[in-house]
Formats: sequence, structure tokens, C-alpha cells
Amino acid sequence: MGTHHTATPNLNEKFEFTGSLRKVLFGMMGAGLLGLVLVFFLYPENHHGRFWSNVLTNVYYFTGISLFGLFAVAAAQLAYGGWNTLVKRILISLGSFAMIGGFLLLIILVTGLLGWHNLYEHVEHIMHDHDNEKYTNKHIFFNTKFWVLRLVVYALLWAALSYTFDKFFGEKDQTDVKVYKQSKLLAAAFIVVFAVTESFVSWDMVMSLDPHWYSTLFGWYNFASYGCAAWAMTILLVIYLKSKGYLEVVNENHIHDLGKFLFGFSIFWTYLWFSQFMLQWYGNIPEDTNFWVKRFNTGYFKFTIFLALIINFLFPLLFLIKRGAKRNFKMIGFGAALLIVGHYIDFFNYTFFEPVVCEAPKADEHHGGEHHSANSANTVLYAEAHTDAKGHEGAATDAPAHAAPAAHGEEAHGGGHAPHGELIHCATIGIGEILVFVGFLGLFLYMFFTRLSKRNLIIEKDPYLGENIRLNVTWS
Amino acid sequence: MSNTTLPNKFVVGLWDHEEVYLHAIEHIRHKGIEIYDSLTPFPVHGLEDALGLKETRLHTAGFFFGATGTTLALSFMTWVMTTNYPIDFGGKPYWPVPSFIPITFEMTVLFAAWGMTLTYLVRNKLWPGRVPRIYDKRTTDDRFALVFNAEKLTDAQIAEVKSLCQTEGAVEVKDKVFAEGEGL
Repeated sequence: MGTHHTATPNLNEKFEFTGSLRKVLFGMMGAGLLGLVLVFFLYPENHHGRFWSNVLTNVYYFTGISLFGLFAVAAAQLAYGGWNTLVKRILISLGSFAMIGGFLLLIILVTGLLGWHNLYEHVEHIMHDHDNEKYTNKHIFFNTKFWVLRLVVYALLWAALSYTFDKFFGEKDQTDVKVYKQSKLLAAAFIVVFAVTESFVSWDMVMSLDPHWYSTLFGWYNFASYGCAAWAMTILLVIYLKSKGYLEVVNENHIHDLGKFLFGFSIFWTYLWFSQFMLQWYGNIPEDTNFWVKRFNTGYFKFTIFLALIINFLFPLLFLIKRGAKRNFKMIGFGAALLIVGHYIDFFNYTFFEPVVCEAPKADEHHGGEHHSANSANTVLYAEAHTDAKGHEGAATDAPAHAAPAAHGEEAHGGGHAPHGELIHCATIGIGEILVFVGFLGLFLYMFFTRLSKRNLIIEKDPYLGENIRLNVTWS
Repeated sequence: MSNTTLPNKFVVGLWDHEEVYLHAIEHIRHKGIEIYDSLTPFPVHGLEDALGLKETRLHTAGFFFGATGTTLALSFMTWVMTTNYPIDFGGKPYWPVPSFIPITFEMTVLFAAWGMTLTYLVRNKLWPGRVPRIYDKRTTDDRFALVFNAEKLTDAQIAEVKSLCQTEGAVEVKDKVFAEGEGL
């Protein structure tokens, strides 16, 4: 609004990455290391499954946030959007974690395939189970070479695009029409790459934890989660930078826009969560329902699933819906912080179950940490899924042909009513998880601030700058 | 709503540039003069702030319309599926809440949309057959109008308002008197 900003705002400012902030971030990373060590030694079950789940969840989560920052810039660039000009550098700097995120995911996959941990053991079972016709296509997709190659491609593409975004928007004069047109090409290229890689990486790294289960909108679902977390992160960082005296021109109108995105993406996330859940609940195919039955029968996961729904849906719906809440720095800051935690919990539901919970049932203890134990645990749960699905007699034929004898014993014993006590599951959001999350947050923020401090906080040579400074979000 | 409650005598100031118009509004309000209405050919950024308008309550109404739809849909389907006509659908429980959600969502949207639209139309008197009060025809073309209620002002105040409009850059200031019962 023109009348409010008559004085020339200070646009030519650089973020100073102070020593004290560095110390705080190093402290967070230290806490993360401590958490990793704790989790590694306290929970050696299932080849340190909990440790690797922690690493996977955090790397995946922060890579997603990072990529979404770049996506937000690309999408606005393609749509002639000027609303994000003042926070564009922040969004691009979020992308700094994508420089390493893909490589970290690659490390997790390769160590898994080398047998260091059990995260992807179920996939390997499928790979070795040539008798099972049903998984023929998954043989092709989870062919080890193809799988690793995909991860290499994502890692390289993300790093290259993240670097290019920083360079391009930081150094080139966007007011030059030629450069502006180039920026559209770059943005379009990113959107295509992002759409494909983001879907694929969600299948590769998270959905493959339980290869029997699949959800056709899982890529979208993850995208929505990233979106919520990335907008929340952007809001928190803008509030932080403003509290340090930077970004004088950013006011409640800009926060309001970011808040609307946060709200909208939360609803979008819920839409996808529910679409995924309801179709599988209604379809009642053992492969699909198995995923939910396992979790709902594990008290803690039932709790975290509903907790995630409350934080990520009910809370934004009732709290962020008000205009006042989105324009008040304290209220939107609180909401953003809570949503970042909420979406961590949501990913927890997906990544912490199989690697940690699929321990041998007690009756099967003599198998110890061997691969077969986990597989039979899965089979037991199939049996449970059948018994839970009233009136679906035919479903029983879907049980894997290689069901271990122990599993049948379980089925007979449990009768579908209380066999769940036998499952050993040690995954909770404990102090270790919190420390590791804080550690990765520290790493993420360290990379963020490093990139942010390299150039001016606001891209001065942007054709939409004036428009965005005058931004006024009205209610009419 | 009866016409007798509406004032009939007005002073209308017309501007031809929105920046000048916005500043004029701020200055006029600063002098403590009450503005009766403001008409512009297109939405002017910052006009709400300048006029000091309160936040609309339409979206609050929308929330309650939506909540009505949610309640109605959920309770109706619950009644049908549990009491009125319980059927076993594919082994699902008699009260299959997840399958109610899409319909509940649609009903929420439907109620919120219709409720808000009708509320908006009624509050703005936009029903068929209504004869509107037109202060100046050019407010739909290229003039920005400020309307003052002359019935509340003394003659001296009217003169002051007129001269103030002139000094604030109005291209035209005029009296507008509606006949008793004319327009709504």
C-alpha cells in the first residue's frame, strides 16, 4: 500500500552469519550427533533399525522442505507471481539442503543394499522371491542397479538445480527481459524435474519400506507435507530475520500471504491423507489395509496417526483460518512451529514402523535378527488384515505363498483378536528422535544461513519488487 | 427495510484519480468528517484502510454456514445408516464414518457457498427488481465519488465539506437529493 511506505526502504542489506548463531547451530548439530549415538547404542534391535529410521526420516523431511523452497520460486516465476519477491532469497536459500540431501539419501539406500541395515530388506525379499507372480513389476522397479541409478540422478539434478537457482536469481539482472524469459525456462525445467523426482523418491525411499503396500497418490501426499513444512519454515525464518532487524520492508501483508499458503497446503494435505486412507479402507484389499491395521493395532502409532491429523488438520483449520491469526507474528509463528513438528510426526508414521516394528514375534524368537523373521511378522499381519475384514473370505488367497510356518501358528493362536502383543516395537518419539531432529534442523539452518549470507537478502533487480513492497492484503 | 430510514439529501464529491482520492479520504477523515459512502469504478488498493472500514463478518457467517452443512450431513447419514435403514455394505460397519466424509465435505462447501452468496446479496441489497440509488453515473466509468450525508450537517458544515473537497482535488462537488421513497 503506497501510503505506508513513503520512506525509501533499505533493500541493500546482507545477512550477517554471526559467530553466536553459528555456535547455536553447531550446538544443535552436536545434540543431533549425541542423539544418533544414543539411538544407535540404545536400540540395536533389527540391525539398528531405529537409528537408520531416524536418519532417513530427517534427511527425507529436510530434503523435501528444501526442494519445496525452490519449487515455490519456480511456480511463482511461471505464474507471473510477484507476491514472493521479498522472500525469494529465503525460499532459494531453503534449497541449499538439496545440495546434499540427494546424496545422503543415496548413502542410506546403498548402505541398506550392502546389508548395513534392514530398511529395505522387504524389497530385497521381493527381489529374491521369483515365485511370486504378483511382484513381477516391482522386480523391474526395484532392480538394484536401476534403484541406485535413480537416486544418483536425483541427487545430481537437485544439486545442479539448487546451485543454478542460487546463481541465476542472485547474480543476473531479472529486470532484463531476456534474463526474465530465461528464468521462466529454468523454472519450467525445475518443475518438471521436481514433479518426477519428488514422486519417485517418495516411492524409492519411503513407500518401499513396506513394498506390499502402495498408494498411488503417495508422491502428491509427500509434496503436500513438504509444502506445509516449507511454508512454515519460511514464516519462522522471516519472523526470525525481522526480529534481528533485517527485512524491514516485509510486513504482516507478506506474512499473511505465506500464512494463507500454509493454511491452504494444510487442507490440501488433509485432502490427500483422507483420499489415501478412505480408498484403502473402502477397498479393503489386504495389501493396502495391512499398512493401516498394523499401525492401528500398535497403540503408539494409532496415537501418532491421530496426533498428526489433529496438528496438521484440525489445528490449522480452527486456528489459522482467522485473518488475525495469519497477520499476528506470534500466532502465525506458533502455528508454523507446531506444523513443522506435526509433519515430522506424519513422516514418523510412515518411516518408523517397518524398520523397527517388524521384529520377530515372540513365538518366532529363535530366528533372531535374520531376514525371515521380519517377513513372517508381515505375514502374520496379513492374516490379521483378513480376519478384520468381515465378509471378505476371498481375501485370504492373497496371502503370500511363502508364508512361514511360524506365521500360521501365529494366526491360529492369535485368532485376529489380540495377537499384537507379540510384536516387538520400540519406535516412539523419544529423546533420541528429538535430538536427531534438532541436529538435522541445525544442519539445515546452517546450510540455509550460509547461502543466505552470501548475497543480499532481497533481490533488488526483480521486475516485481515494487509491486511486492506495496503489497496490501485486504479482506474484500 | 423501509425507505424512510434512508437519508435523502447528500453532498457528492467526485475525483478523477485514485491516488488523489485516497489522500483526500485520509485528510477528510482526519478532520473528523463522516463519510457516508464511497464509490469507485474499480477496486482501489488501500481503500478499506483509508476509510477505516471494519473487517467484514461475511467469512464468520460462512464458517457457521459450513458448520451447519457438516452437522446436517453427518447427522442425517448417521440417522439413516444406524436407525432408519441400516444395511451391511461390503462388510463395513453400520456406522462407516470415513465413507461419510466426502459427502460431508460437499455439504459443507455447498452450505458455505450458498449461505455466503445469499448473505452477501441480501446485505448489499442486490435482489432482482431493486431500484438502486445512483449518486453519479460516472462512478462506473472514471469518477471516484465520496458521499456525505447532508441531513446530518448544518449549512455551515456543508459549505465546509464542499470547500474541503475542492481543496483536496475534487473535480466536481454537487448536491444530490433523492425524492422521498426513491431508490433503495
